[in-house]
Amino acid sequence: MTILAFDFMRRGLIAALLVGFAAPSIGTFLVQRRLSLTGDGIGHVAFTGVGLGVLLRTSPVLTAVVVSILGAVLIEVVRERAQASGDVALALLFYGGLAGGSILIKLAGGTNSALGGYLFGSLSSVSSGDLAVIVTLSLVVLATMLVFLRELFAVCQDEDVAHVSGLPVRFLNLLVAVGAAVTVTVAMRTVGLLLVSALMVVPVATVQLLSRSFRGTLYGACLLGAVMSVGGLVLSYYADVPPGGSIVVLSLTGFLVAAIAASVRKRVVR
Amino acid sequence: MSVFDLQHGTVVLGGRRILEEVSVTVDEGEFVAILGANGSGKTTLVRTLVGLNPLEAGTLTVFGTPLARFREWPRLGYVPQRLSVGGGVPATVGEVVASGRTGRLSRFRRFSRDDRAAVAHALEDVGLSDRAGDPVATLSGGQQQRVLIARALAGEPEVLVLDEPTAGVDADSQDTLAGALGHLSNNGGSVVLVAHELGPLAGLIGRAVVLSHGQVQSDGPPPQPEGHHAAPGHVHVHPHADEQPPSTFGLDR
Ligand SMILES: Nc1ncnc2c1ncn2[C@@H]1O[C@H](COP(=O)(O)OP(=O)(O)O)[C@@H](O)[C@H]1O
Ligand SMILES: [Mg+2]
Repeated sequence: MTILAFDFMRRGLIAALLVGFAAPSIGTFLVQRRLSLTGDGIGHVAFTGVGLGVLLRTSPVLTAVVVSILGAVLIEVVRERAQASGDVALALLFYGGLAGGSILIKLAGGTNSALGGYLFGSLSSVSSGDLAVIVTLSLVVLATMLVFLRELFAVCQDEDVAHVSGLPVRFLNLLVAVGAAVTVTVAMRTVGLLLVSALMVVPVATVQLLSRSFRGTLYGACLLGAVMSVGGLVLSYYADVPPGGSIVVLSLTGFLVAAIAASVRKRVVR
Repeated sequence: MSVFDLQHGTVVLGGRRILEEVSVTVDEGEFVAILGANGSGKTTLVRTLVGLNPLEAGTLTVFGTPLARFREWPRLGYVPQRLSVGGGVPATVGEVVASGRTGRLSRFRRFSRDDRAAVAHALEDVGLSDRAGDPVATLSGGQQQRVLIARALAGEPEVLVLDEPTAGVDADSQDTLAGALGHLSNNGGSVVLVAHELGPLAGLIGRAVVLSHGQVQSDGPPPQPEGHHAAPGHVHVHPHADEQPPSTFGLDR
């Protein structure tokens, strides 16, 4: 395997593996609440964080974490108060995030290719410092989801009933929001900010075509996410395309296969 | 002791006064029906009782404790007004019902034998034991309504608050529901039931609170079916009966 001969590839593969596990673990709860596009929103907002990091000459991952957590909390507050205008408020936040990032990066003298790396992922960009951050944060996200699994399921299933059960609903909602924000920044190097949401949502959408239970969907999606993430990264190395693109195309292909399998199964059962 | 004691409760939602000076008390072991036309404030009232709507004015105690200081949530069971179980990810009947125990469990404790027994019992109560492994989405509307009730029962509450659990539910499910609620009531539990059509539940009701335009119109013995409509299944509140006195209940079928 010549692919493993390069340090940056080894780092990239480890990052892809962990991100592949972590992203669908958050994604399952977003899909459960029908908030599949939240990850996209946070990705847009995180872009401003990246721009800020480049401008301030500090680690863009760090500033992206901070800004996207702020964005995710803001999105959650808007969701909680959601009236008819909630949808528009979110849209404004998304556009602002993307526009802010593009301006800040240009102000800092960044190049278009650096910009593309953040938006669509880049193979060579995971430094060993980045890897330490990615590994730590992915494990924290996964552990948190596991510890709060039961409560998160109850809250995402029915918020009112969770309230009356005495669960800390607002805390749990913020946990999902912050978890999503952390996952977005962790996945930024490999899949890129514009495609990170796909890694959260597509494995869940795929597995739920074939599974019956919530647990089955959650664990299946994490496994599938890891396979697709690593597979897509390898593909990007050999095909010389941005990893975000190959990971998502591979995931979507998996979705198509599962959709066909599900419809065949339905016909056979009938 | 009273389970719920709401005195002069006023609730404002979206800038509108939805409940105006409503006083309702539910004592332990009582089976109280909340009746009234669509939009009369039934849902708002029960949501207020379980702490989901803030009070603009008035006082509310739950099991003798002012709501703000109330912490014994597992004593309450709540079945919201829903058409289906919901959620974007598949879940089995067993998983949804088991989630009703979450409020009783501490974060790191595993699901114990007692928990499993409570879930099995709740499923049995609503007649869905054989469906525990099925995805909720494959059940009929009436069966999903029963899943919501089983979820509340799984928490082994002392009082069960149900918001129109019989709306659009088949006769079979209504009978099962009547059985489950009768069982809870016979074991000393309290029930607050919002209903629009009582059906087979009529015989269980001890008291009826009738709402009209966000105020209590009457509070007393349940409306008696009259004449040849005397069968309990015929107690019926017409959706637009808001302006009429409660004595006409049961006459429109
Ligand atoms: N969140 C809300 N904001 C504004 N108005 C509301 C809200 N919820 C309910 N209402 C209004 O309050 C009135 C009573 O509603 P509700 O309690 O749902 O009645 P019922 O359950 O008896 O049909 C209705 O006119 C309804 O439109
Ligand atoms: Mg209602």
